[in-house]
Amino acid sequence: MIDEHHGWNLSQKPLWIGFILSLILTLAAYRIVAHGHLTHITLVASIVGIGCALAVIQLIFFLHLGLEEKPRWNLMMFIFGVALILVLILGTLWIMSNLNYNVMPDMGH
Amino acid sequence: MIKDEHYPDSHHDVYSKTVFGFWLYLLTDFMLFATIFAAYAVLSKNTFGGPTPKELFDLEYTTIQSVIFLLSTFTVGLAGVYTHRKQKWGAISFFLITFVLGLVFLMMEIKEFSHLIAVGSGWDKNAFASSFFTLVGMFLLHLVFALLWILVLLVPVFKSGISKISLRRLTCLKMFWQFMSIIWVFIYTFVYLLGIV
Amino acid sequence: MSLLGRLGEHAFKHDMIEYGAGLSMVLGGIVVVALLTYYKKWGWLWKEYLTSVDHKKIGIMYIVVSAIMLLKGFIDALMMRAQQAFATGESMGYLGAEHFQQIFTAHGVTMIFFVGMGLVFGVINLVLPLQIGARDVAFPLLNSISFWLFTAGGLYILVSLMIGVFAGTGWTAYPPLAGLKYSPGVGVDYWLWSIQISGVGSLLSGVNFLVTILKMRCPGMTMMRMPVFVWATFAMMILVIFAFPILTGTIGMLSTDRLLDTKIFTADYGGNPMMYINLIWAWGHPEVYILILPAFGIFSEVVPVFSHKKLFGYTSMVWAIAVITFLSFLVWLHHFFTMGAGANVNAFFGIMTMIIAVPTGVKVFNWLFTMYRGKVQFTNSMLWFMGFVFTFVTGGMTGVLMSIPGVDFQVHNSLFLIAHFHSVIIGGVVFGFFAGYSYWFPKYTGFKLDEKLGKYAFWFWFIGFFVAFFPLYLLGFMGATRRMNHYPDGNGWQSLFIVAAIGALLILIGVLFQATQLYKSIKHRKELKDTTGDPWNGRTLEWSTASPPPFYNFAHIPTVHAKDAFWEMKKSKAQVETKEYEDIHMPKNSSVGVSLGIISSILGFALVWHMFWLAAICAVGVLITLIGRLFVKETDYYVKASEVKEIEMRSRSV
Repeated sequence: MIDEHHGWNLSQKPLWIGFILSLILTLAAYRIVAHGHLTHITLVASIVGIGCALAVIQLIFFLHLGLEEKPRWNLMMFIFGVALILVLILGTLWIMSNLNYNVMPDMGH
Repeated sequence: MIKDEHYPDSHHDVYSKTVFGFWLYLLTDFMLFATIFAAYAVLSKNTFGGPTPKELFDLEYTTIQSVIFLLSTFTVGLAGVYTHRKQKWGAISFFLITFVLGLVFLMMEIKEFSHLIAVGSGWDKNAFASSFFTLVGMFLLHLVFALLWILVLLVPVFKSGISKISLRRLTCLKMFWQFMSIIWVFIYTFVYLLGIV
Repeated sequence: MSLLGRLGEHAFKHDMIEYGAGLSMVLGGIVVVALLTYYKKWGWLWKEYLTSVDHKKIGIMYIVVSAIMLLKGFIDALMMRAQQAFATGESMGYLGAEHFQQIFTAHGVTMIFFVGMGLVFGVINLVLPLQIGARDVAFPLLNSISFWLFTAGGLYILVSLMIGVFAGTGWTAYPPLAGLKYSPGVGVDYWLWSIQISGVGSLLSGVNFLVTILKMRCPGMTMMRMPVFVWATFAMMILVIFAFPILTGTIGMLSTDRLLDTKIFTADYGGNPMMYINLIWAWGHPEVYILILPAFGIFSEVVPVFSHKKLFGYTSMVWAIAVITFLSFLVWLHHFFTMGAGANVNAFFGIMTMIIAVPTGVKVFNWLFTMYRGKVQFTNSMLWFMGFVFTFVTGGMTGVLMSIPGVDFQVHNSLFLIAHFHSVIIGGVVFGFFAGYSYWFPKYTGFKLDEKLGKYAFWFWFIGFFVAFFPLYLLGFMGATRRMNHYPDGNGWQSLFIVAAIGALLILIGVLFQATQLYKSIKHRKELKDTTGDPWNGRTLEWSTASPPPFYNFAHIPTVHAKDAFWEMKKSKAQVETKEYEDIHMPKNSSVGVSLGIISSILGFALVWHMFWLAAICAVGVLITLIGRLFVKETDYYVKASEVKEIEMRSRSV
């Protein structure tokens, strides 16, 4: 992840960039929920989008993901992990909603 | 590959192994939270007649919490930079600032928990409340552990500055804190924001 | 709140069989303690094994604990076979329903977690560092901790025989039955902490071995020059790190349901028990691939050596492992086709399950092609491989059969299913371990196992297996469900159950032959001695060391130039390095592992019996142990070059 022999461990710059960007996005998310007049779908999509962007920014600027030298095991393991997390969560939602529909007569329909 | 103090007779760099191993541990922790998130996602609507997320969550309060945690992630990053520069007092100051911010966050969250319990949405009341408390509670457990960890690791730094061992351990601690920040981003987004709209 | 929580007299009341079992365990323990005391071996045990952080010692301990747990699990099996052979019509057999439920639950938990995982981690510990030319794993202390957490978890199953009860829910403990309302007693809690504590051990090992493989290969060993066993271990560890947290989270939520009265998997208050089944199998399916991949790895080592021919299709083997790893996360719903997710969902997972059979098939063919035109020597290891081919492949085919949802609806949770998974687990994991056992035994003990007794053991196991499980396939088709302590007569089932019981007895004879083989081999170890370190003309680096290897493994870390590194060295008649010996840096022993094992056993016990004050003390104890370790300065030492030279000279002159 952070190899002590690399420059980014010694520099404040990526931290400042990451912090400012994250602050802006966090406040933007707050704003659109508190005051925004977006339709529901757009609202949800924006919130989720901002959340994902925040995560990516913090991964890159704070955790320095992807900046190591080859072979990039940290990045590869992370991507594999993200893929599996998506499979777990999306798979679960798909399975559970189908189960709900079929098996829980008063609740799913 | 730089030989390190521990295994001078091989090319095995202890710093690199430890930090990589810790990164892998963090991936397992991501997966743990994903499991609890999955449960929350399925159960979040099941209030069984009890108060709903919309009624319970306070947008301004939670946003302030999020900004505080974001600030703490920034300060822990700075602490990391000072650590790598072997600047003892810079490191100590910023780890302690991080500690204070974390403590404030913890107390704010406990206050929210008490509020939920008081209005009939305690962890044993319905599936939504149970999964909420489990998810956020698990986050708080990690936070408490991290706070303790800061104190423990700063002791040798106070006494004798930043050794190779401290550098390694403080780097892991910093990564842990920044990992928690990402988990909180998902909690803020998917639990609070989506719960409110 | 009493000091003893909910522990009371009633916890010690059992039926005669349970008393007998508990008593024999206690007596067994007393015998061991007495022997250790009489021969004054406590110091030796503490120093050489219990506090060791040497991967070879830890590997042996894993196998010893697994063997003990295998004894328990196998007795559970014999008891079930005996019950089912007689309990039909008027006869209720000799086991009450509640006792029977605990037996099949304990049998499953024991075999999967404490035999399967234990044997696999044991073999990997022994072999992996040597095969990559390393001195130990990446984190030796963590390795010790993992072993002790594993052992602590296993203890609960044994303790529950004497104090309280074990779960009666089946090894996957589905709610709502496993929830607070329907299982308020201690059984499920024992189950929970047994698995949770050993699960942490497994997870830590996953991280440990992954870092070892990626960061500690000797110079020249690129990924594509690693032995296939190492690739298999690599894949397994990826599965471990991503699947085990799902288990941790899921049973963690079951414990909050039970301890804090949360409503996550309850049948009411908005909970969803189906969610548990979904999540537990999202872990459970990768788990079975965690078990089988190392077994495949063992065969990839054994088959080329005893066919005197290099492994066929190295690259496709690696790809097959990678594909299996990824796909194993995409099939989990096939464990609950019948729960009601509907045709679309079932179809997707059914197809994915069929697809995953393909890379496995590729591997089986590659092993057979390795044998083709080779000079095959039917040592014990090769016999186990041939046994695997028949047993695992038939079992696997029944798996593909059940991957068709419509078919699965007929045989779900029937004895057909039971026969399927025993075929693949015994045929795959157990036979794989036995092949590895025969192969690597001389490396770590310095003498070979008696071949003849091993042969008898194999034939009794192999024939016994088919006699025990083929009837179960038939019974499954005839409608017999799993976990029955009694069934109606007149169906024609009983004769099949009796045949199955005879099969179990044949396997028992096989096990007895293995025990005899071990005893006799130890007795005749001078005649069976491995003097060269390379008794089989092996291909991989572990065979370049003495048998047993010195504690530091290699005096000089080897440099590798090709696959089958040792074979390459022998072929090119690489001169034995006459380099200068160097000081070797080694880690010291540590009691942290044992301490954490003891503290966590008490912690779990306290949580089971609701002695929360004790649990809190233990939790603090864990923290203090870990924090204490952080402040220890003297964690390693140097072995002087002169001592290394002496050890090397001594082993060469033998």
